[in-house]
Amino acid sequence: MPLPVLLALVVLGIGGIAVALHLLGLSAPRRLDEAGARAAWLREFPGDTVTAATVCADGSAALIAAHSGPGVVWTMGADTTARPLHGARSTAQGNGLTLHLPDFTAPRLQLRLTPQEADLWTRTLKDTA
Amino acid sequence: MTDQIAFPDVVQLAVPLFIAAILAELAWIVLRKRGGRYETRDALTSLIMGAGNVASGILLGFIAYGFFMLLWQITPLDLGTSLPVILLCFVLDDLRYYWVHRFGHRIRWVWASHVNHHSSQHYNLTTALRQTWTGTFTFMMLVRAPLILAGFHPALVLFCGGLNLIYQFWIHTEAIGRLPRWVEAVMNTPSHHRVHHGRNARYLDANYAGVFIVWDKLFGTFVPEQESEKVDYGLVRNLGTFNPLRVAFHEWVGIFRDVTQPGITWRDRWMYMVAPPGWSHDGSRADTARIKADHLARHPEDRGTPGFS
Repeated sequence: MPLPVLLALVVLGIGGIAVALHLLGLSAPRRLDEAGARAAWLREFPGDTVTAATVCADGSAALIAAHSGPGVVWTMGADTTARPLHGARSTAQGNGLTLHLPDFTAPRLQLRLTPQEADLWTRTLKDTA
Repeated sequence: MTDQIAFPDVVQLAVPLFIAAILAELAWIVLRKRGGRYETRDALTSLIMGAGNVASGILLGFIAYGFFMLLWQITPLDLGTSLPVILLCFVLDDLRYYWVHRFGHRIRWVWASHVNHHSSQHYNLTTALRQTWTGTFTFMMLVRAPLILAGFHPALVLFCGGLNLIYQFWIHTEAIGRLPRWVEAVMNTPSHHRVHHGRNARYLDANYAGVFIVWDKLFGTFVPEQESEKVDYGLVRNLGTFNPLRVAFHEWVGIFRDVTQPGITWRDRWMYMVAPPGWSHDGSRADTARIKADHLARHPEDRGTPGFS
């Protein structure tokens, strides 16, 4: 297949599928509740015990207290992932915090938080450091 | 000895088929409200990984092809390109695929390339296209050397490899349940390959087959999909990014960081490259064996069941 034809197919194919998915409403991010946040943590760390899960007001992430230490779960599109907060730091931003994780596969996380939530996250991170 | 043999690049020719099949699967899922899940950013990442794989083949393919042609100059054997030879080559190349794939899960250096194929938490036809950009650097081209030395022309071997890849495209779906018993017994199917993409302890390191599932049954790595345990797709530690560059290179970065850390022995550094994923010098991480053992400690009732025998 001539390279220009292959290139056009690939670009139009990827673009067309992405647009179709978006128009079908399949870009909507998942929203967490407390039970969902606990389950998301245990999905990544099945031997652990969650003692508390504090979900952000917008449902995009949750602060986890677990026997293994504090952690964060957050939505990845329609799914979730989780990381311990050991070694993490945060910087303030307009409507919350930017979480910096020592992990190439999850380097930064924008948390939209109320002032009270931001305070809780900041205190937890300070205690973890 | 025949040098000038041309076979079509079937993977490139199949690109329109891939696009049409993805749209058909998407339509099925949306209309029937079952048979799988799609999410925009996940699918976009998979498709970009697929495009990158084609690009890396165009840019780096000459390395493997040059190596194969060198072997072809050396070997005194030439089996030709008759139909029986093509069929034999396809079957033997599928055996080759089984072992390369198994190495891809059991040797971290090779896993660093293959991991991105497993990095989606979805399982649909776009997942099939989430392919490596760094396969050349795994040196798994060496596993094809016996085929060429045995007299299969490099172009024929690559043609069969392309057909193998195309076969595997359609099995990345939840829209197809179980196929007739004889098909499930001999061929790799959506059911068997769903197991392979599972992050459940039960399903780890199982069903490496490309086309014929008989290899897994022969070499003891077959685990059937269980009605009682839905497959949870993705990695043991799921990624926190959709960035294709991070998806493509994250395990290589992990290897580099592990190998260059201070205070470990040269043996440790070597093991961080070639031991199974999850190995660590201080036991702080869990490989498949430990994940399964930990699961059995929590669920002793699973002992002796498929995936835990």
